[in-house]
Amino acid sequence: MTTDRAGMEYKLTYSDTDIDLMKTMRPAGRLYWALLTVLFLLVMAGGWAWWMQIQTGIGLAGKNSPVGWAMYITTFVYWVGIAHSGTLISAILFLVRVRWRAAVYRSAEAVTVFGLMTAGLFPFIHLGRVWVAHWILPVPNFDGLWPNFRSPLAWDVLAITTYMTVSSTFFLVGMLPDLAIVRDRVKGWRKKVYGFLAQGWQGTDTQWKHYTAAYVFLAALATPLVISVHSIVSWDFAMSIIPGWHSTIFAPYFVAGAIHSGLAMVVLLLIPLRRSFGIEKYITMHHLESLAKFIVFTALVVGFAYMVEFFAAWYGNEKYEKAIFLYRMVGEYAWAFWLLITTNVFVPLLLWSKKIRTSIPCLVVICISVEIGMWLERFVIIVTSLAHDYLPSAWGLYHPTLTDSMIVIGSFAWFFFLFMIFVKVLPAVSMWEVKEQLPPPLKERG
Amino acid sequence: MNATGPYLFSVYRHVDDLVAGIRALKGEGMSEFQVFSPVPHHDITAALGGKRSPVRVFTLVGGLLGLAIGWGITIGPLGNFSLHVGGKPLLSIPPFGVVAYICTILFGALATIVGLFANTRLPQWNLTPGYDERISSDHFGIQVRCAPEEFERLARLLKTTGAIDIRRILR
Repeated sequence: MTTDRAGMEYKLTYSDTDIDLMKTMRPAGRLYWALLTVLFLLVMAGGWAWWMQIQTGIGLAGKNSPVGWAMYITTFVYWVGIAHSGTLISAILFLVRVRWRAAVYRSAEAVTVFGLMTAGLFPFIHLGRVWVAHWILPVPNFDGLWPNFRSPLAWDVLAITTYMTVSSTFFLVGMLPDLAIVRDRVKGWRKKVYGFLAQGWQGTDTQWKHYTAAYVFLAALATPLVISVHSIVSWDFAMSIIPGWHSTIFAPYFVAGAIHSGLAMVVLLLIPLRRSFGIEKYITMHHLESLAKFIVFTALVVGFAYMVEFFAAWYGNEKYEKAIFLYRMVGEYAWAFWLLITTNVFVPLLLWSKKIRTSIPCLVVICISVEIGMWLERFVIIVTSLAHDYLPSAWGLYHPTLTDSMIVIGSFAWFFFLFMIFVKVLPAVSMWEVKEQLPPPLKERG
Repeated sequence: MNATGPYLFSVYRHVDDLVAGIRALKGEGMSEFQVFSPVPHHDITAALGGKRSPVRVFTLVGGLLGLAIGWGITIGPLGNFSLHVGGKPLLSIPPFGVVAYICTILFGALATIVGLFANTRLPQWNLTPGYDERISSDHFGIQVRCAPEEFERLARLLKTTGAIDIRRILR
């Protein structure tokens, strides 16, 4: 029996790792295809709803005046938030040498890339006139348009596209040695496809030298993005003068919330992944427990941010600010407010108990609770502030419609659809980094 | 060294044998060889020695270029778009700094990838002749270029260090 550096007992060799972890890429069973079909149909339904909205007009969505930002921006912020845990796990935990990340970071990176691919749809859906979306890009055109770089919306476009570029690059580059492993194990047309994707990787000393250097620099460049991207998303709100939005704590508050929901999503995806493919000895309870402890920490940070937000409104003694926070607690959307406090802060605190955080059903329930809570948090921030700002004569409510609800449901289906395809066509657990955690084959060990 | 001579490709099962093979070749004054391994290993790096990767220079240059581009796209067109928005000055350092910051990271990351691919000579559509598919899994290898008359001597040398398979590659 050999023992890895994190103290977990493994009876594993390098070749066992390849055999076990490539199980995820074996031909799919009926359940997989059934689930994929359901998700595909939901994606199509969401796409159809978007098409109807383009054909008919943005009025099909429930947003209105004064609630001009509603479900779409809520869901956009939610998916950008989901994307954050991937880079946290892959880049930050890499730089601080947290060894348990090796088995889980690939799936977390996939969550980042697919989360961004889902989030990236919403500004286009929200725009209404999606065919003029390129006006936001710094491309000179015949209308003489140029983005207003003083606007946080322009920063947001740059931040999200940069995050997408850097995280996809990190994801794909991190996979090169694993794609070479797959290339060397498969035959026929697959060998050609994975050979192309591996780009000729052979594990030479020169390749490893430059690769490990590049990996460190990519991690170092991705790390500030974890903090900055959601900070910039928060400034979409905080730079305005809407009560409940104009706050200096928004950046750290949004970043903490993003990591909170992202970690919960990673746990939700890892649980069926390890179970379905029998890779429990790689993605162990130790991994899930470590992530659960992280969720306790982020729940405390998010809870503290909620308290500070209310304290600042009360202590600042600004009547509109006080009014909006009171409205959140007792107004038409109070149900969402109290539900988010419960699901985001109180429910995850149950993970203090080792018995609960090592129970798979409890973990699933708590992580779903966090997902609901974090979506509602953005809904409450966005909708209540717009619904109830300065002038009572301008107050109004938002009610979701079938169109925006179908698009939001379709976005969830799109995310899970992409993830399910990923686990079948690409190595979902990093084989080379798991091997790095194992003792190398030495003659003295035989 | 005969540039048209054969290549010797030796395969190892254990990393300590591989390191012994590297040291034996260095002891013979050989320097033109490549080592193959499924994962990076500090013993291999230490045995090989050599300079640090120049990828960091690419990252630095890319980052600085991005910083310049970030300031350039925000300040550069001010003459053509001199419209005051939100009471902010035309040359607004804090918001333009955000753009410059993002561009620094974007171009730094892209330049790192360029540095990686340029230095590793990737993509390589043809694998090294003699490349052994076991290497990506759990074996190690050394490819040495040698003169034809040196082949047998080097093969014997590497065999004594624990090579399990030695092949002559002609190309």
